[in-house]
Amino acid sequence: MDEPSLIQSAQHGDLDSFNTLVLHYQDSVFNTALRILGDEDLAADAAQEAFISAFRSIASFRGGSFKAWLMRTVTNACYDELRRQKRRPTTPLEPDTDDGDEMDSPRWLADPNMTPAQKAEADELEHAIQHCLEALPTDFRSVVVLADIQGMDYSEVAAASKVPLGTIKSRLARARLRLRECLRGFEELLPSAFRLESEEI
Amino acid sequence: MNRFRDIEKLSAYLDGQLSQSDSAHLESRIESDRELASALNDLRFTRGILRKLPARKAPRNFMLTRKMVGLKPPLPRTYSFFRFSSAFATLLLVLTFAFNAVVPRIAFGSMAAAPLVGSGGGCTACGGGGPAALDPNLMQESYAAATEAPAADTQPMAPMPTEMPLPEDSTRKEPEANPAPQEQPQAQSEPLGIPFEWQITLLVIGLISMVAMFLIGQSARRKWN
Repeated sequence: MDEPSLIQSAQHGDLDSFNTLVLHYQDSVFNTALRILGDEDLAADAAQEAFISAFRSIASFRGGSFKAWLMRTVTNACYDELRRQKRRPTTPLEPDTDDGDEMDSPRWLADPNMTPAQKAEADELEHAIQHCLEALPTDFRSVVVLADIQGMDYSEVAAASKVPLGTIKSRLARARLRLRECLRGFEELLPSAFRLESEEI
Repeated sequence: MNRFRDIEKLSAYLDGQLSQSDSAHLESRIESDRELASALNDLRFTRGILRKLPARKAPRNFMLTRKMVGLKPPLPRTYSFFRFSSAFATLLLVLTFAFNAVVPRIAFGSMAAAPLVGSGGGCTACGGGGPAALDPNLMQESYAAATEAPAADTQPMAPMPTEMPLPEDSTRKEPEANPAPQEQPQAQSEPLGIPFEWQITLLVIGLISMVAMFLIGQSARRKWN
């Protein structure tokens, strides 16, 4: 994929070129939105909004990392969604699973002080991590998602978040520390799924 | 130790964001400080978990359609031409109507004002009318002339002759009276504003341009889709 030429064509209004970029980045964009928002449907909507917004403002892209620029668009879309939720909080009375059954232990009921019974119900490590991510302040969450989940380097995260590099370092350190504290509550899930010893620096 | 600053350094060290000298200094401290080593392990652990979080596939395709982004089909130059001509013709048509509505009133106003000034009055009942008050001497003279020779000289009564012909001339002038009513309609039929034919022409141009514009737009949209 010749990214610069696709971007250039998209800047001249070529939708097909932009759609090639969409296909390349859609999983990353969706995952970022999913980790920030914690809801698949909202994340899909935010990702779609982000791509529409990106196409409309692609003329303002002045080079650099296109991924970082795209991530800034999707994090902005997520912030908009979170602000909307804050203004008009909605709580489903009977949240359903994908099969249409009532959810036994909906995540929306989870709080940082989960009881052991509730912890046992959070039987998937992914849910546990998502739970801890959602406990982070939004700014910290987006930084940790971009740096640790999307694997972007500090300068890309700084470009995507529009904050100085020093702030990124600080936020990332704090976010990791808070996540570590939160994940201590799910330690029984960790050994089987992860071999931290093999993690390289 | 300044705990948070150290944590920040450890986090940056983990990501390879420290300079070589800072890294070497931190490594030597980690070797001697168990608390620092433990904090590094915690950070590494957290980063490891996050990195191993399974990436989800996008639940649907996020490719954009032209409708989503509000893209409009590229229109040929003829479209712009017809758009301009229809707008221009419509504008002119409106202006002709406005012109035709205004001009006769102005003309009527000036025509109505002209006899008042020329006759020098005769409308004493008008009250406040300019002509009667224009020149009292002139009024007296004309009145005197009229009383002295009412039948011989009808010149001072300029507006009257056609209305009140003398009785002895009435039989002789009867054939001449006919042309006057014929002249009057001729004078009224002369158009004061823009001819109706012009308006029809503008209307036709406007309509044709609009239809052409619509057809070109439709064709462009069909090709685009």
